[in-house]
Amino acid sequence: MTGLQRYAVVLGAAAALAAVLIGASQVGSGAAETPVLEPAGGSESLFAGIEQHGGALGSPKAPVTLVEYADLQCPYCAQWSRETLPVLVDEYVATGKLRIVFLGLAFIGADSDKALRTAIAAGQDDHLWDVVHGLYASQGAENSGWVTDDLVGSIAAGVPGLDGEKLLVARWEDTVGPELEHAADAATRAGVHGTPAFQLGPTGGRLELVDVTSLGPEGIVPAIEALLAR
Amino acid sequence: MSERTARRASAAAAALGAAISAYLLYVRQAGGTLVCSTGGCETVQSSEYAEVLGLPVAALGLVGFLGLLLTALARGEWARLSQATLALTALAFSIYLLYIQVAVIDAICQWCLATELLTLAIVALGLVRLRLGDVDPR
Repeated sequence: MTGLQRYAVVLGAAAALAAVLIGASQVGSGAAETPVLEPAGGSESLFAGIEQHGGALGSPKAPVTLVEYADLQCPYCAQWSRETLPVLVDEYVATGKLRIVFLGLAFIGADSDKALRTAIAAGQDDHLWDVVHGLYASQGAENSGWVTDDLVGSIAAGVPGLDGEKLLVARWEDTVGPELEHAADAATRAGVHGTPAFQLGPTGGRLELVDVTSLGPEGIVPAIEALLAR
Repeated sequence: MSERTARRASAAAAALGAAISAYLLYVRQAGGTLVCSTGGCETVQSSEYAEVLGLPVAALGLVGFLGLLLTALARGEWARLSQATLALTALAFSIYLLYIQVAVIDAICQWCLATELLTLAIVALGLVRLRLGDVDPR
């Protein structure tokens, strides 16, 4: 093989292999199919008419409880919120079968802490889920300073009964810290090592970590159905 | 530069790349948090582009760098051709991933950048090996 032929073979083989890899990446990513989240503050219809108490969504009498451990900067958590939460809310929470409890973690960085504090402060007015959904919808690059006062204000403006100015102050009050610690302790006790993570079980009973194999509804619905069938 | 020097430097770069890939894969599988000074590692690693057909890109990187390490340690024409082919493939895929980080995900992962630079170095060294192979066959 001449020198020129060697280079031609190498370049040809590399180009073919790279094309296969890039093609596989494009197919696997499904980027073009990714739905766009609702704009901040547009969560009113999703949670309209559903009880919220602190971090809990749904009736306290629901037979099954799902605990969600999440970091508000975690893209997979946002994906779960986009693809699965609406299905669970419509089919299980709104019908009184399921109660979902949000326990936020802040391990990615400063914006995680600021976002979580904002959500917890909103939870003190029973609007945590509206704010969590709004923050996921506007999720920016991690620790880029995306949790701005303007963003919080625009989310709050879309939630009837939530005062944005009050929220900006309340998130730094002493009452928020213990809730941060409670969630972190609960995650440690549950053996949570990444987000999103879920515990599921009968309300008031023993909750078990769920091995979620998919971020779509099919990853959690069978476990919920199994509990409801008991 | 002799072929032997290019081979040794390639092996060192490939070993470093394999170590970084192994770290990324370990953190991904263990569910931990990456050490990150660029602030975008978690975003990149948890994006839909962090997998190719269900296989973590970090695992592909680990296999690729181990392959480059083997071809760097081996001698002969086939080893030189294999290193150059594998390295150019990895470079093309790295350029694609860099484009995805900058233009699509809008986040930069320092570890990904490091492996991309190592790949570029291995390409250069591989081409040197290919050119010197016949005149410096040690």
